[in-house]
Amino acid sequence: MSAPVHIETSRDLPLVSVMVGFKIGSVLDPVGKEGLTRLMVRMLRRGAGDMGATTIENHIDRLGADLSEHAGTSTVSFQMEIIRRSFDRGIELLAKLLGSPSFDPAELGKLLRESEGEIIEARDNDRALASRAFRRTVFEDHPFARRASGLIPTLRAIERSDVLDAYARTLTRDKVVMAFAGDVDDAMAQRAAELIHAALPAGPSPARSIPDPAMKPGRRLVFVDKPERTQTQMLIGGMGTHPRDDDHVALHVANTVFGGTFTSRLMREVRSKRGWSYGAYANLPIDVCREGFSLWTHPKATDAAECLKLELKLLEEWRDKGITAAELAFAKRYLTRSHAFEIDTATKRVHRKLATSLYDLPEDYYSRYLEQVKAVTREQADAAVRNRLSGADLVVAITGTASEIGEQIKQAIPGLVEHKVVPHDLE
Amino acid sequence: MTTKRPQGAPRRSLAARQRARSAMLAEQSGTNAIAYEGALPFGSALSVERYRLANGLQVLLVEDRAAPVVAYHTWFRVGSRHERQGKTGLAHLLEHLMFNEFEGMKPGEFDRKLEEAGAETNAATWVDWTYYYENLPASQLGLAIALESRRMGKLVMQQAQVTSELEVVANERRYRVDDDVDGAVSEKLYSRAFTTHGYRTPTIGWMDDIKGLTPDDCRGFYTTYYAPNNATLVVVGDFDEVATIRKIAAAYGELKPAEIPVEDSHPDAPQTEQRTEVLHKPTPTDKVSIGYHGPALADYDHSALSLLNDILFGGRSSRVHRALVQDAEIATDVRGWVSTFQDPGLYEIGLVARPERSAEELLAKLDEQLEKVCAEPVTEDELERARARAELGLLRGMETCGGKAEQIAFYTTTLGEPCGAFQRLEQLRRVTRSDVLKAARRYLRPEARTVITVHPQPKEATP
Repeated sequence: MSAPVHIETSRDLPLVSVMVGFKIGSVLDPVGKEGLTRLMVRMLRRGAGDMGATTIENHIDRLGADLSEHAGTSTVSFQMEIIRRSFDRGIELLAKLLGSPSFDPAELGKLLRESEGEIIEARDNDRALASRAFRRTVFEDHPFARRASGLIPTLRAIERSDVLDAYARTLTRDKVVMAFAGDVDDAMAQRAAELIHAALPAGPSPARSIPDPAMKPGRRLVFVDKPERTQTQMLIGGMGTHPRDDDHVALHVANTVFGGTFTSRLMREVRSKRGWSYGAYANLPIDVCREGFSLWTHPKATDAAECLKLELKLLEEWRDKGITAAELAFAKRYLTRSHAFEIDTATKRVHRKLATSLYDLPEDYYSRYLEQVKAVTREQADAAVRNRLSGADLVVAITGTASEIGEQIKQAIPGLVEHKVVPHDLE
Repeated sequence: MTTKRPQGAPRRSLAARQRARSAMLAEQSGTNAIAYEGALPFGSALSVERYRLANGLQVLLVEDRAAPVVAYHTWFRVGSRHERQGKTGLAHLLEHLMFNEFEGMKPGEFDRKLEEAGAETNAATWVDWTYYYENLPASQLGLAIALESRRMGKLVMQQAQVTSELEVVANERRYRVDDDVDGAVSEKLYSRAFTTHGYRTPTIGWMDDIKGLTPDDCRGFYTTYYAPNNATLVVVGDFDEVATIRKIAAAYGELKPAEIPVEDSHPDAPQTEQRTEVLHKPTPTDKVSIGYHGPALADYDHSALSLLNDILFGGRSSRVHRALVQDAEIATDVRGWVSTFQDPGLYEIGLVARPERSAEELLAKLDEQLEKVCAEPVTEDELERARARAELGLLRGMETCGGKAEQIAFYTTTLGEPCGAFQRLEQLRRVTRSDVLKAARRYLRPEARTVITVHPQPKEATP
């Protein structure tokens, strides 16, 4: 068996985490059939071999297990938490689910209808609405702009044959990475990995090819219009970073100063001094290619325009004036000392190895992280912000009530080149 | 491929710890006096060492060397149910202010010092309790002791801090309640289901009350309830027990105990008629929220009702999920929860309709399922599955030092039982099908429930 297998043994609790990941995701969904990969992944627990959906769910519960599945743009993953005494039976079940799905047509119909309901229900989540608007606008034609859970018309276009195809090209042996953590030893884990590996389609599957996204120039606003909002959900940002960038760690350190902690500049100015938003954070996620940068706040509707102006000013100051020596020293101490909580459980430790394999991160990405943080200079941090985070090319996404604050928000963004109001039930 | 986990220092032998403890106890006197109240096994490998300071502060220590980290929890036996009418939200506002300024510590310095030490810190307030925690590298434990002991007695509450924090809390309320359908419905449910008990008011407070809170209100609440004899301190992680209790005694010993007022509690009279309310919200689908009056956490019935809840709502194999989501296809989401409150709370049920399906359909279908569990016993297989899920839930909650500390502190604060999580698991194992049937018939009484229905606002009513 050639698949990577990562193991972290800990005897503290009679509990095992099993993670099975695939280096491919919804990027393969055909245009017009978005949501296909996620649908296929969710179908796995709704019929396998001679087991129907109810039998499978009863079996999972009886074992003292919990199974979750995730389908993102670049990866698909399954995680099973299971009481140690049921480990062997849990692995047999997992291998069956991954290797012998029945894709029962009746179950597929049910799941499609259930998924439509979930898409409509998601309109209740103002933050998610702002986030979707943000990603659609920042990434536009890039796969990151597409919704992994699909849209109602794209789900309706999916046939059972599409699901079978998606399965055959996604959950293949050449794309699998496995990890085991907790009350499990090498021999047990290897046996389990071999059983799962053997159950999978042989493949090979198409290569994962996701280019770096490009962003339109200028400042753009997308306003998600929803009635009766007393508060806004607001995201500001653009292009971010990739772990293979030379200045990746420097940018992370700079972002820690700007919006990465409870005492960051953003939190201090927005929440502590003005009380404008309960939460205020800036985020730099990673993936197989360049991801986004965003800062999130949720000010009261009547404070939103002023808050937006302040945040644009803070971004500008961060880019123009950089960070201070004291701020840099603080961020380094925070990142190096809090690192203990990145590795305090076996599951967290093995997750880092799994992520390295799944996202093709540099082999030493995690092992050299602390050393790299300690080596970052002020000049490097400032240059990383200037080079990677544009002040001119920005997207602002807001969920709010357009008739009440739409005009003020528009006026708060100097140099706005595009302004769009979209209904909250657009998707 | 296997790697070794990062290990903390090895734990001293039992005999060595006992000798060190005896020597330490013999040295203590006066305000620094420490009483050792014995050990309790916590799972198969750990133990809770129980101490009490002369001022009444209860200290529970668990040496856990799995990783070089420590969880430091401070729980106060005060929550929103202790507030007076017109002053709702006070317990929660005080929680926010506890991160602001105290003597010798400027605003923001508390968080800054902890972050600089690599710590994560936060707090939570609910109906029965308020707690504060730090998760920090083991080498920084002394900082948590120094900071937490100081803010237990030396908080500064001036108008400026209170005004600024009131605005943050108001924004938190908009986020969690005013612009959130689930939050708004939950608030309505409790305010209708309870008529006299403190559980009827929301922990975050009514907006008008929040805006009217003053520094004097905060000072009064703080001096009344934030006293060492009204608190439990729980430390779990990679530290030496005896050295740590010495430091804790030195830091907290000078704090004075307070006279905790007798609680002015007004239990609700039994509900004899169903209460209903209909709301219209900017939401895409119908929703129903139901509250049956339920047992207190300490009641034996609580375990039986929790297992019944799992049989009805626990995951995709549960009865209500299968009936409403999978078979009838009228719901998107169904959920149930038995409140884990000190006094009798609610058995909460939430249903979310599919588009074009009605709340009335959901309720009728739910009632069929509830009638069934009141008519016939659940199966042994269902009970076994619910127990297995509970066991898994307990184990997952114990993976980190923070998880263990929270379990210990929660059960100590609400039930006086540091190892209550394990006792609870034992209790769940003893629950029989008869117990479940009895609990169903005792609590699922239509006349004792409150039903909040949500309909989407008509399109023409929206701008």
